[in-house]
Amino acid sequence: MNRIQTKLREDKKLLSIYFTAGYPNIDDTVTIIKGLEKNGVDMIEIGLPFSDPLADGPTIQASSTQALKNGMTTEVLFNQLKDIRKTVNIPLIIMGYFNPMFQYGVETFCKKCQDIGIDGLIIPDLPVDVYHEEYQAVFEKYGLINVFLITPQTSDERIRYIDSISNGFIYMVSSASTTGTQSGFGEEQTNYFERIGSMKLKNPQIIGFGISNNETFSQATQHAKGAIIGSAFVKYVTNADGIKTIGSFVKSILN
Amino acid sequence: MKLKICGMKYQENMTQVATLQPDYLGFIFYDKSARNFDTSIPQISNSIKKTGVFVNEDLDNVIQKINTFNLQAVQLHGEESPEYCKKLESQNIEIIKVFSIKDEFNFEVLKPYENVCDYFLFDTKGKLPGGNGYTFNWSVLNNYPSTKSFFLSGGIGLERIEDIKKFQQSKASKYCYALDVNSKFEIEPGLKNISILKEFKNKLSNNIMNYNVDEKGYYGEFGGAFIPEMLYPNVEELRQNYLKIMAEPDFKKEFDKLLKDYVGRPSPLYFAKRLSEKYNTKVYLKREDLNHTGAHKINNTIGQILMAKRLGKHRIIAETGAGQHGVATATVCALMGLECIVYMGEIDIARQAPNVARMKMLGAKVVPALSGSRTLKDATNEAIRDWINNPVDTHYIIGSAIGPHPYPDMVTKFQAVISEEIKWQLKEQEGRENPDYVVACIGGGSNAAGTYYHYLHEKDVNIIAVEAAGLGVGSGESAATSVLGKEGIIHGCKTLLMQTNDGQITEPYSISAGLDYPGVGPMHAHLCKTGRAEFMAVTDNDAMNAGLDLCKLEGIIPAIESSHALAIFEQRTFKPEDVVVVSLSGRGDKDLNNYIEYFEI
Repeated sequence: MNRIQTKLREDKKLLSIYFTAGYPNIDDTVTIIKGLEKNGVDMIEIGLPFSDPLADGPTIQASSTQALKNGMTTEVLFNQLKDIRKTVNIPLIIMGYFNPMFQYGVETFCKKCQDIGIDGLIIPDLPVDVYHEEYQAVFEKYGLINVFLITPQTSDERIRYIDSISNGFIYMVSSASTTGTQSGFGEEQTNYFERIGSMKLKNPQIIGFGISNNETFSQATQHAKGAIIGSAFVKYVTNADGIKTIGSFVKSILN
Repeated sequence: MKLKICGMKYQENMTQVATLQPDYLGFIFYDKSARNFDTSIPQISNSIKKTGVFVNEDLDNVIQKINTFNLQAVQLHGEESPEYCKKLESQNIEIIKVFSIKDEFNFEVLKPYENVCDYFLFDTKGKLPGGNGYTFNWSVLNNYPSTKSFFLSGGIGLERIEDIKKFQQSKASKYCYALDVNSKFEIEPGLKNISILKEFKNKLSNNIMNYNVDEKGYYGEFGGAFIPEMLYPNVEELRQNYLKIMAEPDFKKEFDKLLKDYVGRPSPLYFAKRLSEKYNTKVYLKREDLNHTGAHKINNTIGQILMAKRLGKHRIIAETGAGQHGVATATVCALMGLECIVYMGEIDIARQAPNVARMKMLGAKVVPALSGSRTLKDATNEAIRDWINNPVDTHYIIGSAIGPHPYPDMVTKFQAVISEEIKWQLKEQEGRENPDYVVACIGGGSNAAGTYYHYLHEKDVNIIAVEAAGLGVGSGESAATSVLGKEGIIHGCKTLLMQTNDGQITEPYSISAGLDYPGVGPMHAHLCKTGRAEFMAVTDNDAMNAGLDLCKLEGIIPAIESSHALAIFEQRTFKPEDVVVVSLSGRGDKDLNNYIEYFEI
């Protein structure tokens, strides 16, 4: 069983953290991953930076631009991660845009992920139907779980379709927004969380976009299996001591 | 190539055949034929032309059948004279005159019919007037002297697919407009075998290159909709509705009226006499620079604002590079009283101050794109992000033939008015609709898409696409995507784009802000890949000189974008009798500062 699937069976609410690989410094990738695992984070999304991240707000855009300036590439990332499974056991997901993967070669990319011990991928601009028709077989061949997004505007019919194609979790985007632009959840979001909860999907949901502190984490996990924090963490590691004090960040979310 | 299925006899069979969407269905009104039609025609799609086939029939009877069966075409299989054909002219139908060929053919007999029929049809000479079931030697058509489109007929069946392919690649097929099939697809005379017809049609469409978008939103391997799920409802809403809305009579009427009364269309097709003399060929300029707001961009923004209104949107967003599309969008928003937000790179805002002022005067809010390189690419990113954050009430007016499906197709269709006009304007001036060449500059490619659109499948029209080479294709400062780009995904579609080996999108360079884009629309990527269009690259310097040249020769100050298209005459020779239509996409007022600095005027 894939590490993601095993993790989803645990009887607890999951905290997943996103960070941009190669940011703030090119060699921070492994340090950050180890720091997150040590401090009790359940799952990690390693952001493969892209020049034109359409679904991201200013924080992740800026971190991506800096990471690329630092020299981050697909190949560099794979090299940094080649021994990661000697020490890290929690699920690792690569999140990135499709073009860098496409240029690397989708199958080569997937194979490399398997060799390293990557468990899944999140590719916001690879639509579910294209995945289903062209790439699902390759992803499955290399044991990778592909995670799809749904939003408050996604129709029930499409959610059912996405649920049928998924075999890990569904990434529930909290509101119509890019990353890092929301603060706090209102009635609209709560209604949406409840609506999805009542659909009894086969895949558990993890909520992302707009989770930045203990309050929003608790709100989100009332209705879902877990929550993802991205921009808030990227901001945190931007501070000089950020990487050294990952423990206090995680503690501030979970307590 | 169109398809005509002939010899229909049975109602249920007709309905089934009609589901295959042939372009013509033929009904034989000839009582000596085993396929003589003696029933009524069921309700079938209006796009299928009902064709009556006659053999030396009394003219009054033909007219009566036209009226009774609401025929859109007649096919004359006997010894009908040119005078006979001429008498049918007033019926407002297509007239197809049949000639039978064996091993040779005296093409002289066609001459008297040139002006009295719409198409010729070449069939095999046999015992019967049609339906003999065997083919003639198609290479006879190598000597076809006319430019009239023709139907190819006689014994065409599934087993001829390979021959058809070869024929399509040969000179003989240059004016072949349609294939006409009949007896090879029958269970018995008049009863068609649907599954074999279907197989034939599928094979035929695989055979024939389609340059338009397919039902999945692709041009060959390019196109599609590579968008985050957050954009799916918006793009899907548009995809499901755009063709329907564009086909509404009331939409068409409003669009045409605004193009005429507000934009000032038709734009002239101007024979550039002195330019023609200089290059010893016939150059026509399609004067998009004379449109309101000074460029072709307004054709698309008029179309999209009407689309947005019908979709119930009241907030409009757009991206702009030099500001031309931003101004065209702000203009139509003012016209319709809709809120308008234009994203523009911070660097472009600084270098295009007059257009920023124009947009503001027109009531638009100009928002600087501060991310990445702070130019067009980033303005597009910001507009897309805005759309993600405002999924319900907002329409995004993309300015070029790029973006996720259906944008490239929708923008192309709104810009297609350019080639639609060229056709009749050239007919008036040159006596023919098709030039030898159509030429346009390409950034994302919207003026090019409109200039090519009605010529994409006209084999006798050569297509030339002119990209910006910047300081030179190999200089590292260029925007020649077809040379420097490779397949990838940008702004929601798969196309050719300039990128690093690692798949990061790179910054192009051109003196012309409108061509300074790292990608090219998916339709153009397909035209490039299939060789349908010839791609050329023109440097800053050559473009600037060509621009200045046009000022002096013709008294027209072109936009620097359009100057790129004009520069090809220095690179390439045309024959004196060639008719070359160049899209003069915009006027040069916005570029005055550039011209002043460049030439130290």
